[in-house]
Amino acid sequence: MSSKSPQKSATSANSLSRQLGLYFFIAIVLVAGLLFALNQLAGLMGTATQEAQAVDFANNSISAVLREEPPQLDSSKATDSTSGLVLGHIMEGLLRMDLQDRLSPAIAERWEVSPTHATFWLRKDAKWSDGKPITAADFIFAWQLALKPETGSEYASLLYPIENAEAINRGELPASALGVNAPDPHTLVVALSRPIAFFDKMVVFPTFLPVREDFYNATQGRFGADAKDLLYSGPYVIKSWVHGASMLLERNPHYWDNNRGKLAQINFAYITSDATATLNFFKDERIALARLQAENLTEALRLKWPIRRFADGTVFYLEFNHREGRLSRNLNFRKAIQHVLDMEELVYKVTKLPGYLPGKSLFPDWLIGVEKTLREEYPASTVNVNSTKAKAYLALAQEELGLAEFPEITLLTSDNPVSNIQSEWLQEVLKQTLGLTIKIDKQIFKQRLAKMGAGEFGLLLGGWGPDYNDPLTYGDLFASWNLNNRGRYSSAKMDALINTAQNATATPDRMQAFGAIQQQIFDDVVILPMYERGVTYVVHPQLKGVKRRVIGAETDYTYAYIDPDA
Amino acid sequence: MSEQTDTSWQPSASDFAPKPKHQTADVITRPAMSYWQDAWRRLKENKRALFSLYLIFGLITFTLAGPHLWTIDPSAQDLDQIGMAPGADRNVTIAPAYQPWYGPTSDVIYADDNPLGLVLVGDATSQAVRLAWQETGLGAGQTNYGYKIYRTLFALNVGDAFGLPLMETQNHYFEDRLDLQPTDYYYTVVALDKQGVETDQSTTIQISVKRVITMLEAQKRGLTQNKTVAEGDQIKLALHPFGTDYLGRDMLARLIYGGQVSLFIGIFAPLLYVLLGVIYGSIAGFLGGAVDQLMMRFADFAVALPFLLFMILLKVIFGIGPGESGVLPMLVAMVILLWPAPARLVRGQILQIREEGYINASKLLGASTNYLVLRHMIPNTMGVILVTITFQVPSAIFTEAFLSFIGMGVAPPTPSWGSMCNDGIKSMLTRPHELFFPALFISITVLAFNLLGDGLRDALDARMRNRE
Repeated sequence: MSSKSPQKSATSANSLSRQLGLYFFIAIVLVAGLLFALNQLAGLMGTATQEAQAVDFANNSISAVLREEPPQLDSSKATDSTSGLVLGHIMEGLLRMDLQDRLSPAIAERWEVSPTHATFWLRKDAKWSDGKPITAADFIFAWQLALKPETGSEYASLLYPIENAEAINRGELPASALGVNAPDPHTLVVALSRPIAFFDKMVVFPTFLPVREDFYNATQGRFGADAKDLLYSGPYVIKSWVHGASMLLERNPHYWDNNRGKLAQINFAYITSDATATLNFFKDERIALARLQAENLTEALRLKWPIRRFADGTVFYLEFNHREGRLSRNLNFRKAIQHVLDMEELVYKVTKLPGYLPGKSLFPDWLIGVEKTLREEYPASTVNVNSTKAKAYLALAQEELGLAEFPEITLLTSDNPVSNIQSEWLQEVLKQTLGLTIKIDKQIFKQRLAKMGAGEFGLLLGGWGPDYNDPLTYGDLFASWNLNNRGRYSSAKMDALINTAQNATATPDRMQAFGAIQQQIFDDVVILPMYERGVTYVVHPQLKGVKRRVIGAETDYTYAYIDPDA
Repeated sequence: MSEQTDTSWQPSASDFAPKPKHQTADVITRPAMSYWQDAWRRLKENKRALFSLYLIFGLITFTLAGPHLWTIDPSAQDLDQIGMAPGADRNVTIAPAYQPWYGPTSDVIYADDNPLGLVLVGDATSQAVRLAWQETGLGAGQTNYGYKIYRTLFALNVGDAFGLPLMETQNHYFEDRLDLQPTDYYYTVVALDKQGVETDQSTTIQISVKRVITMLEAQKRGLTQNKTVAEGDQIKLALHPFGTDYLGRDMLARLIYGGQVSLFIGIFAPLLYVLLGVIYGSIAGFLGGAVDQLMMRFADFAVALPFLLFMILLKVIFGIGPGESGVLPMLVAMVILLWPAPARLVRGQILQIREEGYINASKLLGASTNYLVLRHMIPNTMGVILVTITFQVPSAIFTEAFLSFIGMGVAPPTPSWGSMCNDGIKSMLTRPHELFFPALFISITVLAFNLLGDGLRDALDARMRNRE
């Protein structure tokens, strides 16, 4: 260490400040340079990945948002609305709903339903996305696949009207015993196990979509897991599927109908259910259609966007776990909860979403009965909120169950803002009035479906969207054999009523059965209807022909087109 | 003291007498100060650090004494005041209970100044707004194709979108109950044509909504304060000084309880892992050699472990199911993953001190290991340790906030500042106070601990001792 003493101490402060200034200058220049370079780099990357643009007339493409990542796209297993939305674009079945929600021919050119048989004549120009023709064998394979017990399809019960389907699903008969045959590659004859007037309406549902056997076997159990593990029959194919991030659909060159698939590309650029993010994407013209939530309504009103509303037909309810050993198996316990929850308060004050109706029944308001709506013909019973009664029921339940204290109850819910608010409201109401401790189990979609199936819940925020246009789509939900009966409710009376509803041919008889099912659900508190959902959304003014559906793909872009003059 | 110019002085014998023993020479002294006294003196001179210290005491008092002073349950939902900003109007009128409405009676007088005769039926209250209108001016025999009702908060100009579509109906009346706030609304009724497309026949009216509450609700919420009130009387809704959140929960109560979680993690976690780090680091530094090498390589290994992953693993190991508080695993994860940084620091210090001359001197004088550690090593590293703790506190608070923000922390309805931010960010544009307050508290706490840490570092630095 040399002992250099600062000799020019007078000038050192001066030089120090000059040096600092220089450093500062260099730092600024470097940061500016870095920012510029990054911007250039982003520009270069942009050409490769294509930045989301709401409506791109030059490339005839639009961008949109998917609310959730589809767990997989195997049509025989799909249950959720997001899968339904994507499948509605990439697959086509025998029949479909047109723009006016009428049943119309798709792969089947024409069809006939008799009390014993349904016959579909397939068009000869319908092709898979690899260019091979779609034949009757593809449907037979798909239906057999969905029914095989090892597939574990939750929707297999939809196929029960077909002869032997139920026995195959129970493993009592081999899949080849299914009452479907193909006299020639373009004719499909379905033997019905019982007369069913609306079988043609049912085949619109994804479980009835075709699957080609050789392709299915080639994927070695990964069918539907990724873009390359799918064979497409619809107007679009998945060009890329970045799991959890985005999905790009491109027009299917082998698709037969020129009236559909006008857009060359549909870019589901984001997968998010975050309302604020979605609104900002729309504001920045990154997506062409955005759903509005309570939090961003005021903003949309202030900007004076044209807002649209659509009742999506979905009913939401609180499901109880009726399995052996569960608290909620006790009727008085369920009645206690029935007497504390005010669904009008939930809808009008808590969720505050426009277009929502307070839940009164499993059967939504719009279902048609004999002449008027089903709900007008069979009004739903309701209870008034009454905490004294509720406490009395709870005390009874406690006595019957022989419990010193109620354990914690798990409420399974999805992880999105609307469910979060609802579950916290429920948690507080049940705690305040009944002193029950509720644990909220928020799960992402896939995980929630798995837990629902396995029965790992005490209470469940569930919902049901219609699969076909008949009250039975809701009516058979709580049959003991229905896998979508997540709480495994099982009662002989309910099963008998559902059998009547399924098998009777006269409409008044069926509606009476539905009325009785509604009453049974109320009396036995099988579930607690919470609300009927409505959707409020904004659409890019240049995007026309977007169809919102109650049944099938919730948002259908297959008829959409861009009008650059709007 | 020499007065050379003065010659009058004559030395005497007594001048040469020795000074008495007890008399001491004049010395310049100041009170002896220990290390800590000196540090405290210098900290006191640092206004920012002192202010931060008071602020931290204030925050701790706020969270600990708060629940006794502000006795509102942080999870109680005041559904009449959802998302209220602080200082919002709290007046409310007592009204009869809601009765379902099945359309206007025959004595309704329709307006004559608009094409549909659109009128408000009854009072516009936060319970319900009831509208009625007449058949459009269609010719005889033509059927009614229905109407669409819109509502908006902003005055409409010609050509504007009508706002929020509430309902499509075939009836000539409509009842709106959706989230009615005491403000002005603009309702528009548009007649539809056969295809369900809107025609140009539309009417907009402005309606001021009055906030009401039923007697039963008012009594349930304790708003009547034992006074006898009648329908039509005006009372005040519960006071929420910091407003309410998206479920009508009191923000102040949530901030107090949220602070308990945030400060608990923020203070305890650093205390624990710094303590662990100090013990580990001093053992490594004191023993030195191969043991030191081995221990420090293990610390390097611990640094490389991913925090978030461990957090999730610990949740599983602890058997903490979904919907249960993740605060304990958070604490444990912090303790077992964040100790290496203070350990390295302390080890470095100890290694340095070990080689100092005074240590060797002590050793030569026969000082025991205990004496060396307690008398020399720990006091000399104390400054470093304290500063480390104060700087780790804000980072721990941030970690807690971040983990609660992504949903790994507290379980609802327990609040923490981080989870409150997470809830508030969703309605940032419309109700900013829900995000602002928790964010403000996090910022203040973090800033206070940082400034205090800064001040402590200056105050405890031994090399700055005795400097002004």
